[in-house]
Amino acid sequence: MLKQSYRYDQTTARLEVEGLPDFSAGHADQAIGILSAWRLKIVGASELEGKREHLEALMRVVIPYVRLRLSGVVRSIGELNDPVRMVPDGLQHRLDLTSGQSEVPPLSIQLDDAQLADLVRCLDALRGDARVCLSWPAIQHEPLPRRDLVERIPLMQRLTAPLLGGATVIVLAVLGLLLPLPEVQAPRPENGAEVNPETPISDPAQGDGER
Amino acid sequence: MTDANAPSALDPTFPEAVLGRRALERLDLLLLTVESLDLNGGEAMLWATRQLGFETIFPNRVELWKRRCHNPLRRSTRRGQLSAVETEALIRILCVMADRLYPMLHQLLSSREPEELTRQRWALVNQRLRDLIEERMNLRRGAIQRFLGSEPQDPMLRQLVLTLALAAGPGGVDRLRASLLDPTP
Repeated sequence: MLKQSYRYDQTTARLEVEGLPDFSAGHADQAIGILSAWRLKIVGASELEGKREHLEALMRVVIPYVRLRLSGVVRSIGELNDPVRMVPDGLQHRLDLTSGQSEVPPLSIQLDDAQLADLVRCLDALRGDARVCLSWPAIQHEPLPRRDLVERIPLMQRLTAPLLGGATVIVLAVLGLLLPLPEVQAPRPENGAEVNPETPISDPAQGDGER
Repeated sequence: MTDANAPSALDPTFPEAVLGRRALERLDLLLLTVESLDLNGGEAMLWATRQLGFETIFPNRVELWKRRCHNPLRRSTRRGQLSAVETEALIRILCVMADRLYPMLHQLLSSREPEELTRQRWALVNQRLRDLIEERMNLRRGAIQRFLGSEPQDPMLRQLVLTLALAAGPGGVDRLRASLLDPTP
């Protein structure tokens, strides 16, 4: 049989992929170049399975979500009607799965931190497995923009400095307005003392002793 | 394990990651958390260094310690920045160590473990980390004082352990590097 099956096990998660080598691409007998099925078993939840695009959607959501959690950012990944969505749920995480078939109800799986770590390790292992010769979606890990990181600071803490600064400016401005202005007095020229604006200049032709 | 995919120390594909002050503090604190989880952590780090082929960068424990002393919160801190190669080597060592300690990290983070047992495990790790911080860090620094003055159930320790769990394994290196390169908010 040419059918290959590989399994990636963690304590609370097991990912299994099945497929065939793509001989037209020069794959070896042990390689998987065409994915025929995958199954994901998470302890305490129903078994998941689907097509390759579902597995790719899972990767596109779970791995970036974990990247955000590494930076301490708590935010959902995926939109409401996307096939896969990760949502923070208190101290836990919720994996929402929406089937493309209308008769299949949506499924939510509650994951704790340990299960989330297990799940991402299974996906990492699959993506890093040289025997599985599939081009998985590229996921680039970049530093987060500053505005994302600001969200992890509590709102009160974020607003304290600008509010204090603004209040200080207002208080100082009010105090400045309350200070009485000094009366402006026009200068009075004195009658007796006339000031000769011209500087006496000695005659350059005069000798030193005659000055 | 990560070692199978470990590139050589002089791999030109190493990304040019130069860490800022906060990231250096965080990286060293994560390594310290590894030591608080593994009583033989110092030796294990040396073993990981050899396993990854980083002997030319860190030929002995003193050189490894000197690089970690770039953390400005250290009692005996060193000026300057870590080079990109040294940074990458420390990140990879940390990920290998996290991979090795993963069962313990899993136990700590799992909500399915008995509550009392989990509480005692966290208390033990917390105490070990505090002891290490008191021993090696500059206690006059505000950040250190805040950590030592925090409650045992402080979310910061959980975030450190969670970071190690999510960065463990081959895929964790890129994630952790990107997270360390985050700008300071």
